[in-house]
Amino acid sequence: MHSPWRWLLPISFISTAAQAQSSGWNMPVGVTDISRDIYGLHMTIFWICVVIGLIVFGVMFYSLFRYRHSKGAKPATFHEHTTVEVLWTAIPVLILVGMAVPATATLKNMYDTSEAELDVMIIGQQWRWRYEYLGEDVAFNSSMSTPWEQIRGEEARDEHYLLDVDEPLVLPINRKVRFLMTSDDVIHSWWVPDLAVKQDTIPGFINENWVQINEPGIYRGQCAELCGVNHGFMPVVVHAVEEEEFEIWLAERKEAAEQEAMGVDREWELDELMARGEPVYRAICASCHQADGQGAPPAFPALVNNDQLIDDLDWHIDRILNGVSGTAMPAFRNTLNPVEIAAVVTYTRNAWDSDTGDAIQPAAIAEKIVQ
Amino acid sequence: MWSVIKSVLAALIGVQSDFQRQQDFSSGKPTTFILVAILVTLIFVLLLMVVANMAAR
Repeated sequence: MHSPWRWLLPISFISTAAQAQSSGWNMPVGVTDISRDIYGLHMTIFWICVVIGLIVFGVMFYSLFRYRHSKGAKPATFHEHTTVEVLWTAIPVLILVGMAVPATATLKNMYDTSEAELDVMIIGQQWRWRYEYLGEDVAFNSSMSTPWEQIRGEEARDEHYLLDVDEPLVLPINRKVRFLMTSDDVIHSWWVPDLAVKQDTIPGFINENWVQINEPGIYRGQCAELCGVNHGFMPVVVHAVEEEEFEIWLAERKEAAEQEAMGVDREWELDELMARGEPVYRAICASCHQADGQGAPPAFPALVNNDQLIDDLDWHIDRILNGVSGTAMPAFRNTLNPVEIAAVVTYTRNAWDSDTGDAIQPAAIAEKIVQ
Repeated sequence: MWSVIKSVLAALIGVQSDFQRQQDFSSGKPTTFILVAILVTLIFVLLLMVVANMAAR
């Protein structure tokens, strides 16, 4: 921390050193300066509480024992003692002010989103996160990758059960990254304890926050605001990498996005679309419509043996582009690209028992999105 | 006047001796206390604003 009030936190140094590795009982020390400050404040205030508790209960239990009735203690009968009353008012005020000063300094620092070197838009959606690297033309959805078989108890749970995603948020270390946070539907909350960030994403608002990560690593978190049935299934994974590695990753993503954009215009084979569509379906659609397309009626309709869907291609595409108001079905026109939409439409029309043979072309979808 | 201010400050932190309280009730006028109390509260608010502005800089 660069605050002049650091001298007020001597105890935190000791406890931070002793607890560099999280024991699981306490909050994590984290990997940013802010998270360390917060941990320091937490420990300082904890120890202040411990000392006050020891003094107050010590005096109380000593008095209870020393002046007990069986030893013939007689109660003093006086009405007031102004000096003592002033003292027990003044001392807590001083303690509170003493805690407020370093806490405010940290809080000020937390809210200072100026001079960021990278802007990332974080968008909450039922039930995944979308990350957009502003000015870099890189954007993707980050969906939970824990298989549904594990959730249903049909398979053994792996190490990062419910805390793994298909596409983690990749961030450079030692660089100030500003988050602009909002939501497409209901209120979510983007929470990563190791980064000391827990910020609500609210539709129609943009909240700001920032991180500057000190150590490379994988940091996991969850949605912290109840947002619907799959609230527990939209984890956050942040992959913090060295700056050079980040630049390489960003360049690769940009190129992949360009490749995908070029792919819109060419003719796609059915097999190609199916192969592209399956991972999209698993990441985006399966949490409601299930991996086997059976859905969970009446909330989430089945996609297999769905006559309307099979008979009316335009209706099918419209559902995906524009969503269905009043239901959990969101509009995907801005969050999936034409190739992904064409592929996933093709997939749902040909997977399982549905064998329409329709190969929906990305170019046709791109046209509809523009309309 | 000084005793009125002292009583108002005492009320602000909620500590007052019984002796002073009896005196206030027998000699003072309620309006003086109310006016001084409003003034002291305003000064307190202004003080907080100054502190907040100093902290924000």
